[in-house]
This record gives sequence, structure tokens and C-alpha cells, in this order.
Amino acid sequence: MSWLFPIYLAGAAAIIAPILLHLRRRPPQDRVEFSTLMFLDASTPVPVSKRRLENWLLLLLRCLALILLALMFARPFLQSESAASSSADQATLILLDRSASMRRDDLWKRGLAEAERLFKAAKITDRIALAVFDRELTQVWSFEEDRNTSANRSAALQSRLAALAPTWSGTQLDRALIAAVPSFDASTAKLKKRIHLITDLQEGTHLDALRTIAWPAELTLHVHRLDPVTNDNFAVALAARDEEGSADALIRVRLSNTRDSALRDFTLAWEKGPQADSIAAQIPAGASRILTAPPNSTNATTLTLTGDKYDFDNRLFIAPPQPRAVRIHFLGDEATRDEAAAPLYYLARALQPTATLAPVLTAGKAIPAQKPDVLVISGSTPSAGTHAALRDFVSAGGFLVEVASSSADAALLQTLTGTSGITVKDGDANEDYRMLADVKTEHPLLKPFGDPKLRDFTKLRFWKHRQIEVKDAGNKLETLANFDNGQPAILSARIGKGTLIVMASGWNPGDSQLALSTKFVPLLYGWLAAAGFSHDPAATLLVGEDLPLDAASGHTITEPEGKTHSLKAGETFTATQIGLYKVQSASHTKTVAVNLPPDEGRVLPMAPQKLAEYGIKLSSGADSAGASETSDERLTASDTEQKQQSWWYVLLILLGVLLLETWVAGRGGSFKWSAQSSVRGAEET
Amino acid sequence: MSATAFLDPAALMRIKSLELRAKVVVEGLWKGMHRSPYHGFSVEFSEYRAYVQGDDPRYIDWKVLARSDRTYIKKFEDETNLRCQLVIDHSKSMTFGSLGYTKADYAATLAATLASFLMKQGDAAGLTTFAEGIEEHLPPRNRPGHLRRIIAELERPAKAAGTSLALSVGQLADLLRKRGMICLITDLLAPVEHLEKQLALLSAMGHDLVLFHLMDRAEIDFSFEKSAHFRDAETGAERFIDPQLVRENYLKRLQAHRDTIQMAADRHNVEYHFCPTDQPLEEVLFNFLSARQRKKASKSAAARVAL
Repeated sequence: MSWLFPIYLAGAAAIIAPILLHLRRRPPQDRVEFSTLMFLDASTPVPVSKRRLENWLLLLLRCLALILLALMFARPFLQSESAASSSADQATLILLDRSASMRRDDLWKRGLAEAERLFKAAKITDRIALAVFDRELTQVWSFEEDRNTSANRSAALQSRLAALAPTWSGTQLDRALIAAVPSFDASTAKLKKRIHLITDLQEGTHLDALRTIAWPAELTLHVHRLDPVTNDNFAVALAARDEEGSADALIRVRLSNTRDSALRDFTLAWEKGPQADSIAAQIPAGASRILTAPPNSTNATTLTLTGDKYDFDNRLFIAPPQPRAVRIHFLGDEATRDEAAAPLYYLARALQPTATLAPVLTAGKAIPAQKPDVLVISGSTPSAGTHAALRDFVSAGGFLVEVASSSADAALLQTLTGTSGITVKDGDANEDYRMLADVKTEHPLLKPFGDPKLRDFTKLRFWKHRQIEVKDAGNKLETLANFDNGQPAILSARIGKGTLIVMASGWNPGDSQLALSTKFVPLLYGWLAAAGFSHDPAATLLVGEDLPLDAASGHTITEPEGKTHSLKAGETFTATQIGLYKVQSASHTKTVAVNLPPDEGRVLPMAPQKLAEYGIKLSSGADSAGASETSDERLTASDTEQKQQSWWYVLLILLGVLLLETWVAGRGGSFKWSAQSSVRGAEET
Repeated sequence: MSATAFLDPAALMRIKSLELRAKVVVEGLWKGMHRSPYHGFSVEFSEYRAYVQGDDPRYIDWKVLARSDRTYIKKFEDETNLRCQLVIDHSKSMTFGSLGYTKADYAATLAATLASFLMKQGDAAGLTTFAEGIEEHLPPRNRPGHLRRIIAELERPAKAAGTSLALSVGQLADLLRKRGMICLITDLLAPVEHLEKQLALLSAMGHDLVLFHLMDRAEIDFSFEKSAHFRDAETGAERFIDPQLVRENYLKRLQAHRDTIQMAADRHNVEYHFCPTDQPLEEVLFNFLSARQRKKASKSAAARVAL
């Protein structure tokens, strides 16, 4: 018989108390009501000289109860069995946290040292595996490898550990543990299974997924928590950014301070920005504040928070606004750019650069050598010689807007669409005006008018239009809008990879009011967006998320540190670092900001018992790292004890003894009472 | 008549109704009286009168007939106007009892019995209860319903804590203007020095005083075994007492107390009855009547001398 906590056996000494209490000669406490004391003298209380004989059984039971209590707390177990089981080999998986928060102090070094200590302490017959985790589990040394090369395990593990470094990911302990459970393969089936978790066990650790699994009963988790010098920490995360994404758009950041932190003062500034632009303020412990970022006069990309000891979570990367250049060529006379009646006049004024798009409008009678993204034909009919070139342009992925101006355009349309049934006639000019009807606002090309508020086309009047008749075109040409006389106003067609838009009336005042209406600019930008020239305002990514890539083309990705990766079409790339990633595709380059997951900044340590709430079997000695060898011995003892659970039996016996004691005491009371009543009976007789 | 022929007081006290209890005692006595040698029970001799036909021949004074050859009937004053005031101690010490009933129960039963007995033979009975002073006072009457009033009054529990026998008796002397009989039923657990003076006063006023001294068996023998804190029922004072050590002293003092009372009673012509509460009530009543008879005999002898 051995004891897990022999110190509690000293508690058995408490039996002295009942013995003393039973031995104590106490003066009688009885009270007798009597009619008068006038004939009575007071006598000194004389202790009851004789001890009550019936109490020895009670005393015995009470002593027994106390001894059993002490026994129960001492947690007895059978040594022989324990020796057998302690000699049994163990399968140990060392799980080392390498999330960003391990960058604090020397936590990583200490974690490595702890892992090293653990695998060095293992016997040669034990099975050791090592894995690191941040947002997912990465095997460093598997049980399989260990079985094959257990002799040089120490050296191999050391060299592999040396190659590791903390990452910038968040901590997803739940995923890591769920992935770790199956790593105990068939070869470890007969061994004692244990996971040694070396982590800072910060508050931001994700644990929720642990609820989805049933923890194996034979697997115990031993937590080695690494505590840094201080837990006081500021963290910064992006809270919101104006949708416009323009250079002067507001950026709001969330600042937080840890609970019970001694820190108050912080400074928030753009990196290398002028001192005057920084925000210096205070944040109380445990608070979280949303702040507007200071003005970014130097176009910096990094917001820096200073004031705390650990800077791993003090930088916030914000991608600069990156308007995408779209080259638009107007097939017509450049000289008409400033003529108020010419279509180019309005086109040039409508296409203003935005935060996401930077249209470059050129004009000329010929198609430029460097192919533009969008080609616009209005007010003139290209010569028959250019028809084929235009068709090639569209089918190669170009975007062509053709405003039919005369019946001569029919030939061009026939060439472009490949159908001969298209005719263009001048519309009847006698009529007053035409309006739009049957606008297919659900069509991608008219997406800006998807909002019912913007669907009022009644103010848009067309003075002049061409009659386009389409016969035998099948599904090639699609009518986006009709005039109120039923003739098509806007047609579109997919030709090859490109898109053709045919309008029956121009936007210049000679034809219609379109250029002067509020519908013109949304219509143009809607077409640009539909043509793939939109550019979402730089979404903030977190470490561990995939970069947004166009699946259709290959990319070259430059990491913040300068390393480049070439990706083929369809490949994905996961951001592993914080900073600005440069994503280069065939057509353009964009910058993506990748930041630390905000949860990683919540660095307050959790109690290891928190894991037990998720059904994980913790070994009893879960405490900070640096525990001595004896704690390991205790660990095996505690395992044995847990297996035997003999304190339960002691508890049951204790309860039985207590019940018996209550019964005996109750019986004693009733006996006393019956004795008294018999005395009274004697008096009566 | 042996004591065992009487009703056990413990059994009697189990009868809830005080009226019924009194009735049981009185009727038992009444029936037994026909064979009793003491068949005259009137209290106060008044005068002789000539025998007329129809008079009960039992009341003919045979000795006078023998001496003077004339038939005379003894006439008793109490046949007409004996006024008996029952004075009951209602102090807290009366609530003590070791036999399953208290001295107060016993006193109430005794008083009810006396009242019922007296009223049955046509006398007037009144009731006074006292503790630290007079609590209730019902003047003597013999009317239908008066017995019930007395019994209702007797059934009320004791309120006050202490006893002031002397004060109460003094107040009583003021209340009772007419001469009569006063039956004082008390445990006399109070210093008796002042009491004697008041008894002398009442006696001097011409009242016929009867003192029933009630005591519980536990008070008489002090039959406690275990040491304990004894609590005075009246004052609430507590004293730790080992009965074995103090018993002898107690009994001695009690005897002295009783002797003092006895002497005081003798001095002032007070009829003293010592009644342990385990004594059957009939016996008490019987003793009382015997004593009256003796007293009457001595009085009639004195009257004869006068004739």
C-alpha cells in the first residue's frame, strides 16, 4: 500500500480531538425546574466523576471516521501494481506551441528546452513523437520514425527542433489536439499514452472545437505552461475601414489592454510618419477601444503601437489604395474631346479615376498597337478593313462598346457576331422621344441598377435612335433594354472571351439625354466591373488565410521578406507572415496586407483546468514547466492511483461509519431519554 | 376508612373537567357518609330549638333529652349562612409537580371539591386567587351558576411569578367584611414571619381560618439524584445543586419551616392541614370534616355548659 499524498496521513492525528472530548469531565448541563430555592444551599459544581460507559463505541466510530478521512485524502494505491505499470513503456507526444505569442520573452527557448528535457528523459523503449502547432498541427517526429530510429532519436530531434521557429499564426489548440489524437497509431496501442503540451496557454487560444470530440479515456494530457515575465500587453487589430478605400478613407483600429495590466500609456503612429501625426493616449487595464488611425501623410503601410514590452502584436499592416489601370480607347477623332456635342467629350469626363480604378482614355482613328482593355465606338463607323481586327480584339477578351450610328454599322455587327440577320436602320425622327422599357436590371452588365431605388429611367429620353433588327441570331445577342416602342436599345453578346455591347442610341445630346443623366457613370463603371476591372478594396487578411487569387491565371507572389513564389493557375497560397504580400498576375499587381489574428493578442494565461471542462483528461500534476523529477514520479503514482481509484472505497466505508455513528449516537440519546422516563416512573410509584 | 379506598389523585387528575373532578370526589364522600360515624358536618353551632314533628330525629340532642326530658334540636348557623371564602395561591411555585400534575391542579381540584361540597349543602362559597397580590375575588354566594363561575376561575392558569402571602392576606382582610370561614390553599413557600401577623388579624376579625398546606412529594423528600442547575420557579434564579450534599440540610430547614407554620397556626386558632399532593382528595376532605366535627363538638360542649 502506498500513498499519493502521504502528508495527509498526518491528519489522522486529529483523532486526539474526539478522545480528549470524550475524556473531558464536563460539569452536568442538566437543568431542573424546582418550586423554590429557599431551603437549598448552592454547591460547587462537581464534575461527573464517572465516565459514561456507553460512549466507547461512539468514540471508536468517530476515531475510525477521522482515520478514514485522512486515508481518503492520502489517496492510497497498491504499490505492486504501480511498479508494474510504471515499468510499462509510454507513448508520449510532445506538442509544442509555436504561435506568434511564443515570440514573447524567451518563451520559445524555454519551450524548446522543456521539449528537449522531456524526450531526453524518455527511456529507449518509450515511444516519443513531437509535433508543433499554431493554427494547425505539424508533425516533427512521428511515432513511426521513432520506432525505426529510436537510438539516435535525441540527436535527430534536437536538429529538427533547432530548425523550428515561432510563426505568426494564431493558436488553435482545439484543432491541434484533435489532429494529435489519431497520431497515436497501432504501434502505441499497448503503451501508456500521454500528450505533453508545452504552451503559454493564452486566453486567445481556440478551444471550441474540442467540444465536438470525445476525448479517449486512456490518453492523458499534461500541460507545461510557460509563463512570461509579465502578461501586460497592448494589442492592435483592424476594426473597420471605409468601403471606398481611398487614400484618405478612415481606418479604425481596435486597441486592447490586458486585464490587471499595469500599462496605461500608448502611442499609435504610422511607421516612419511624423511625430505630430501620432496618437498618444491612455487605455485602462482590461479595456478595448476603437480609435481612428492618425492621418497618414507619408502613405505608410504600417501602424505601430508602442508602450508595451512585447511587440509581436503591435503592428497593423494596411495595404495602400491600389487603383487598377484600365486602358480605354475611343475609336474616333481625338480632336472632339473638347466638343460639347461629341461623345468623347462626355466619355472623358465620366471616366474619372476612383480608389479602385484608374481609367486611361485615349482616342484615335486606329486601334493602338498595345491593345486596350476597352474599345468604344460612337459617332462613326469604322471602315470595313478594321472589322476583322475588331472581331479579333473582342474574341481575344476585349470589351467593345459599339453605338450604332448609321445603317453602315450593320456590316460591322454582322462581322462581329457572325450572323447575317442584323440590320440597322435610322429610326423615325418624327416622333417626339423614346424612353427605355424592359430594362434587364438583373443582368450582370446592368448590375449598378440592381437597387430598385435606381431603376427610374423615366427621365432618360432618347431623341434619336437606330432601329436594330436581329434575325436568326439564336441566343447570341441578348437584349438588355428596349425602347418603349419595343425596339432594342441595348444589346450584348459574348464573343469568344470578350464582350460586345451594342447601343441603338448614343449618349451625346444629339442622340439622347443619357450622358447628362445620373445613369451614365454607373452604367459605364458597371460595364467595367463586369469586364473584370473591379478591384475590391484591399481586404485585410489574417495569417493562415489564403490570398485572393484569380483561379484562371498564374501568379507571382512576393512575401514581405522578399521571397517569391510562382504559382500556376488554380493553385492557392496561404499567408504565413504578417506584412504586405505582393500578388502579381499577368495583368496587374496588387498588394495584400496580412495581419496577426486578433485573438493572438489576448495573452493572459488560462488555467490548465479549463481544458478539463472540454472533457480532456488532465494528469493531476498540471502546472508550470520546470517541475522536478519527483513530480514525474508523482505523475506515474497519480496515474496508478487514478486507475485504482481506491479512495472511492475508502469514502464509501467512511460514509458507512458515519451512518453507524449517527445511528449509535441517536440510539444513545433515546436510551438516555428512556432512562430518564423510567426514573420518573419510579418517582411516581 | 383506609387510604387505598380513596381515589388515586393521579387517576383523578386525568379527568380533564375540573367540575367533574369535584363531583367525583364529593359524591364519593357523600355516599360514604351514610355509614360514617360523623354524620353531622355542619360547621357552626348556633342554638337549640324545640323539636317539632317532622324534624330529623338525628339532630335531637339526646344528652339534653336525658338530662332535662325535653326534646331539643341542635340548630347550626351554617345551615343558613356559612360563608366560606376559598383563597388559592396562584404563584408560579404552584406550577411545580413531580407526579404528572402540579400543585396548582391539586389546589384547584381541592377548591372545586370544597366549593361543590359546600354549595351542595346550601352554604355560600367564594373564591379569591392571589400571587403577588389579590388577582381575582368572587364573594361568597350560593346561587345557581355560582359554582360554575368559581370553577371557571379556578381553571385559569397562574400568571404571576412570585408569592406575597402576607400582602395578599392583608388585602383579603380588607375585602371580607362579614365573618365567615376562610380556606387558604397554598404551598406556603414564602417567609412566614409577616404571614403570622395577618393570620392573627383575620382570626381577630372573627374569621374561621383553615390552612391547607400543599406540598409535592419531591419537595417533601427532595428525592433528586443527579447534580443539576436548579431553577427557582418564582424568581428564575439558578443554583447548581448536588442533591446528595444538600438533602439533609433541606429536610431540616423544611421541617423548621413547617414547625413554624404549625406553631403560628396553633397560636392563632387556625386549622392547619398538611396536604402532600399525592394524598387522596377525599381523605383531605374527610380530615377537614373530621376536624370541623371535633371543633363543633367542643363548641357544642361549651354551649351545653351554657345551657
